[in-house]
Amino acid sequence: MKEILLKTESLSKSFSNNGTLQHVLKNIDLKLYKGDFTVIMGASGAGKSTLLYALSGMDTPSLGKVTFGNKVISDLSPDGLAVFRRKHCGFVFQQIYLIDGMSIMDNILSTGLLVNKDKKALVQYARELLKAVDISEEAQKKFPAQLSGGEAQRVGIVRALINSPEILFADEPTGALNSKTGLDVLDTLTKFNEQGQSVVMVTHDMRSARRGNRILYLKDGMVLGECDLGRYRHKDTERHNKLSAFLTEMGW
Amino acid sequence: MKKHFLIAWCNLRRTKGQTVAIVLLILAASSMLNLWLMLSMDYKRNFDRYHDKLNAGHVTLALNGYNAELRDFITETLEKDKNVVQYCMDDALTANASFEYNDGEVSTEFIILEKQTALNRLVEKTEIVEDTKAASGIYLPMIYGMDNSISAGGTVDITIGDNVINYNVCGFLNSVMAGSHNCSMCMLLLTKDKYRELEEKGFAIKSTFVSVRINDKTKSEDFEAALKNKISNKYPDASSLSNSYNLVSSSRYISQMVCAGIVSAAAFLVILIALVVIISNVINYIQENMRQIGVFKAVGYRSRQIILALMLQFLSITLIAVITGIGLSYCLFPTINDMMVSQTGIPYTIKFLPVPYVITVLFICGAVAFAVWLPSRRIRKIEPIIALRQGIQTHNFKHNHIPLEKSHVPLNLALALKTTFSGKKQNITICITMLVLSLVLVFSELMVENIIADIQPFIRLIVGEMADSCININTDIEEEFLQKMDKNRDVSKCYLYHTIEVRHVGGIALSATLSDDFSNVNNKSVCFEGRFPKYDNEMAIGARYAKDKGLEIGDEITLTADGHEAKYIISGMTQVSNYLGKDCLLTRSGYERIGKLNDLSYYINTKTGTDIDKFNIAISRQFENGINMTVNIVSAVNGTAAVYVTLMKIIVIAVLVLSAVIITLVLYLLVRTLINNKKQDYGILKATGFTTRQLIFQTAASFMPSVIFSTAVGLVASSLVINPLTAVFLRGIGIVKCTFVIPVGLTVAAGVGIVLSAFGIVCLLSLKIRKIAPRVLLMGE
Repeated sequence: MKEILLKTESLSKSFSNNGTLQHVLKNIDLKLYKGDFTVIMGASGAGKSTLLYALSGMDTPSLGKVTFGNKVISDLSPDGLAVFRRKHCGFVFQQIYLIDGMSIMDNILSTGLLVNKDKKALVQYARELLKAVDISEEAQKKFPAQLSGGEAQRVGIVRALINSPEILFADEPTGALNSKTGLDVLDTLTKFNEQGQSVVMVTHDMRSARRGNRILYLKDGMVLGECDLGRYRHKDTERHNKLSAFLTEMGW
Repeated sequence: MKKHFLIAWCNLRRTKGQTVAIVLLILAASSMLNLWLMLSMDYKRNFDRYHDKLNAGHVTLALNGYNAELRDFITETLEKDKNVVQYCMDDALTANASFEYNDGEVSTEFIILEKQTALNRLVEKTEIVEDTKAASGIYLPMIYGMDNSISAGGTVDITIGDNVINYNVCGFLNSVMAGSHNCSMCMLLLTKDKYRELEEKGFAIKSTFVSVRINDKTKSEDFEAALKNKISNKYPDASSLSNSYNLVSSSRYISQMVCAGIVSAAAFLVILIALVVIISNVINYIQENMRQIGVFKAVGYRSRQIILALMLQFLSITLIAVITGIGLSYCLFPTINDMMVSQTGIPYTIKFLPVPYVITVLFICGAVAFAVWLPSRRIRKIEPIIALRQGIQTHNFKHNHIPLEKSHVPLNLALALKTTFSGKKQNITICITMLVLSLVLVFSELMVENIIADIQPFIRLIVGEMADSCININTDIEEEFLQKMDKNRDVSKCYLYHTIEVRHVGGIALSATLSDDFSNVNNKSVCFEGRFPKYDNEMAIGARYAKDKGLEIGDEITLTADGHEAKYIISGMTQVSNYLGKDCLLTRSGYERIGKLNDLSYYINTKTGTDIDKFNIAISRQFENGINMTVNIVSAVNGTAAVYVTLMKIIVIAVLVLSAVIITLVLYLLVRTLINNKKQDYGILKATGFTTRQLIFQTAASFMPSVIFSTAVGLVASSLVINPLTAVFLRGIGIVKCTFVIPVGLTVAAGVGIVLSAFGIVCLLSLKIRKIAPRVLLMGE
């Protein structure tokens, strides 16, 4: 029996647009499990990122609730959500979003020091993670603008993992990268997932999606279906075919 | 041109908050600039207008006696003098008199004329500005009707020596050369019956009042000195009161000069801050809109067109703000005018002044255009492709300030310091603003400490010597007087402090203050350089006059009085505003080398709790004859001081309110710019778990190093320069060195107050960070 990390009940999200209410997410009941690599797919405008941000406490739902463990996070104040995010979540963004004015190491430590008080151990851990994602020691002193897109995104992954979060949320992490660097980033995410890191990733790219073991398909703000791809063991063709069939069934 | 308007309009709509803040700064600056220009350009010209309107004299003399021979001599002298354009000579009475005014007392030399004589004079006409048409009574200068303690239709008690005469106040007059106690003689008009009555009673001295117009008014002091010289050579006993155009035009506008000086300083400081803010704004605009600029360039706009649009954007709001500011200055002017008229005593009619208007508009628009052009030159260097990439800083190897790995400061403070070190423009703007505000604050402290809370330091500087009572006696009772003073239980100190006129050979008439021993005087700072004269061949001289004449300590000059001349070595420099720096100090024996003393003024310090008025009356009663005049100095000074205290209170409150508004506006612009620039960073930090409170603290703390540094430096530097700077403003009235006390405790408290206020204001302004949700990072959905 898989351990439930996060669950939603009747999760809805609406935005007002020139006086008209647009329902982006509609009554979503969902459970996310520990150790899974969950991929959320869907057409543009389906509500993928909105769902991701609602799940991660980055945004509050209009209706329904989101529960992390036994704690209803959808009721938390903005500052309460911030504390929740720093302790339990890591984020990887499509646009990477490293802070330009800080060195690579400072980008990571600024997040890490929010939770960890043992700076020495934290620096050591950051170095290990950077080494694991193939960022050289020399590059650690650089600024984001001095790195390639792939390197920067891998730094983004390290920043997301520095507080050893229960869930790593990734919003189109390869969306702004070329295919080679995108592949490196996916490999990194897969590697950490294989080590037990729970990952929730939004993508509309099949190559990225087939790294997940659980695929959720969103359409018009609702989870239309899901597909279990099983653990990633480099059976690319088999996974590709299964995913293709699922997506065809969903109307992709 | 339409394209430029479109870009400018688009920019204005996007930056409403910043636009409003800049408009407010320019509005304040233009309103003060226009006020200053009106005060300095037209206000003093008003004196000339009234001088011409009333055909006033450039030199005015009141000579003792109705002596026909003396009058013939004066007539002959004036007729022969090619410089004389017109003159007029009439009977008058002179008296050292006093009356209560403005919670104090006015005690000065009065020239008293019969009403119809005064109104019908060819030169030096008098104008009645308020008239009850009462048949019998007195007309006072309009300056004494400003505080409502004396009103037309009421009564006033005029004290001449021991005699108190109650008059009905028929109205108020305007006399350009004798309309206030600042003119060395002050005019009173009596109706025919009252004039005859006073003449017959013999309380006042029968005199000859001479008013002379000359062809070059700038030489009025020289003419005055020459005329008096001629008279005293022929009639050594003829004592006189006199004044000149130069002296009166300066002394009646002391308050206007001080006020104009303060307003001009404030105006230029606000303009400076506004320009710094605009420069900073343009730089930020270029950074924030790099992509838009790239788009404009890519579609064919030239740099010049983009700069022109930017110029148009700022100049259009500047023009609106300047015109509104000038309008505001006209709204404020009546209040300032009331204050000024209560000081100058000359009516001023507010009207639209085109020259200050044009200068204000051109100066501020020109300065703003320059401030926009200076940083916007950078637009020329921007390549469209670079701009379209948001000015990608591929080669920007920034210095990593406060590396978190090595730093020992708490995380939030470290991140705040990183922002501080990366915000060069922000720091420069804060530093300039805080330096300016520190100066303003120290100036306000100086006003509070030395005028509002305790006016004595200001009085000591302006008036010079202060005691409780001044008693003028005939020399023949001096010995008896001093014996009685020695035995009087109410007297703690009695010393000679007598003012008499001498002339500098080759120069002008100087007011000489005599004392037996200057170590007795209460205010030692009157002689601020060198030392008081000790020997009969020494003198201390007014610093302003000495500077004008190129005289220094150790130089020898010749003084003359009563037809005798003697040389004196300058032992020190003095400063008192009473004679606009045209004064000197001599020992009594030093003066007696050239002149004879008929009367003497003694200054008396009474013991605490003594009623000075009762003391003066008691002394007068002790001598049947021989006491010419008693003056309650404290009361006399308080009468004038109260107006200064009120004026300074208004100025300090205005300056502090203005400072608070400016600091809030500047911080608002900086915080807003910072938040806009770092919106994405704040989103990232929020997403990674920073709370709004932490980010607000970081923002506020990032301002603090420059606020603390510039406030500390500003307060220390301002404390050092404020006295010399104040002396510059007061130089016109003869003050060349100020020694006002700057309260250290209050300065430290003010510094802490500025820092805490700045922190609080930035925290409040940073509340906008609450609205930055991490989902702003949401892209593509």
